[in-house]
Amino acid sequence: MNKKALIAAAVCLLAGIAAVIYFTCAPKTATADFFAMDTYMNFKVTGKNADAVISEAKAETERLDKEILSRQSAGSEVDALNKNYGGVLSERLKKYIDSLLGVCEKSGGGYDFTLGAVSDLWGFGKNPAVPDKDELKNALNLTGADKLRINDSNIAIPQGAVLDFGSAGKGIVLDEVKGILDNSDVREAVISAGGSIMVYGSRDFTVGIKDPEGGNGYVAVLTVPQTCVSTSGSYERYFESEGKRYHHILDPETGCPADNSLISVTVISQSGILSDALSTACFVCGIEDGMRLAEEYGCEAVFIDNNHRIYASAGIKDSIEITGGAYSFADEE
Amino acid sequence: MKNKLFRKTDLIIILAVALAAVAFILWQRMGDTPLTAEISVNGKTVESVDLSKITDRVEIRPEGAENVLIVAEDGKIRFEASDCPDKLCVKQGELYRKGDTAVCLPEKTVITVTGAELDAVTY
Repeated sequence: MNKKALIAAAVCLLAGIAAVIYFTCAPKTATADFFAMDTYMNFKVTGKNADAVISEAKAETERLDKEILSRQSAGSEVDALNKNYGGVLSERLKKYIDSLLGVCEKSGGGYDFTLGAVSDLWGFGKNPAVPDKDELKNALNLTGADKLRINDSNIAIPQGAVLDFGSAGKGIVLDEVKGILDNSDVREAVISAGGSIMVYGSRDFTVGIKDPEGGNGYVAVLTVPQTCVSTSGSYERYFESEGKRYHHILDPETGCPADNSLISVTVISQSGILSDALSTACFVCGIEDGMRLAEEYGCEAVFIDNNHRIYASAGIKDSIEITGGAYSFADEE
Repeated sequence: MKNKLFRKTDLIIILAVALAAVAFILWQRMGDTPLTAEISVNGKTVESVDLSKITDRVEIRPEGAENVLIVAEDGKIRFEASDCPDKLCVKQGELYRKGDTAVCLPEKTVITVTGAELDAVTY
């Protein structure tokens, strides 16, 4: 073999080794799409062991849903507490409840996670219908997070109040998945739990706010570093009866869909559970009180009303690009 | 010539292979970002075209610059014709990569290709 052939062979070998190293060590992107918590989950993870991390995140989400949070899942912790009017709280559920009680209190009752029976009367997701007024009033009288009695890890639930974590579960998923990501070697991740988003990594991410008036489009784009972004919109789940539209975000005071000019509220927070619960709370409270509530929690918020006006808290406004033609900032009209 | 380790052709082949490898890696990293062409007239965006969805020829006469004919086809976009005197815009040819820009100064019309893919949408 002459010298040239030898060198050529060596070059090929090196290239081969380099290719093998590149494909085994290069960050991999893994995705998971699945249904849990009565919604659609879409996880994307980039980094070493992305496959393993994503299956752990998926398993954890399904466990959270079936074993702890879902009141529809027979045998879950919440289902058992509801059926037995209380019991002993697991450490995790106690942590969630503690932080949600804070939102109930600070929102002046605009947020409540004991409305299960009231929301059942509306039948969202099944056979939605406007409930009988008296029935609604009776159900409402029995509910209220302030009626819960919590002593250490014991909780007593008055008859008629039904724990329902529908307005915080997606955010809880984000927090639990973050715990998994923190303990791994991933470079970045985008976790969507039914439209509640966590962007994870050291770069800036772009998150669109869905067009509340339908279609697949978005009306504004947020550019944010690692954080959680949740939205509550009256367009998400609703039905129409006798020409009137009824959406699924109930005002705990009236038991009826929150009736203000808002159609979409987005809250940005490092905490998933807070971004999720606060987006609902701010929707119910309205622009002024909602803005104050978000500020109290150190969160940023974006409100959109039915006149295509966008109200943004000071800390996020400069990071918003409005892309929906009909929409504009309320203070720039 | 005989004692030379590599001939010119050898070097060219090695370079070509190396370039192909780099291109392949870059292409892999870029992923499948859908591209959007923004057409603006007089500084105002009048049309936004998702190039990733364009296959058949689409003709656009942008609002406010009706003398300009823009054609999107097969994931690319270009100034096809214009009433302007120098036709510089037409000469700029096809735009299809993020950052590609073509301008028709007399008609104040700009086409810019942006990577429009968001990381996520909240709802």
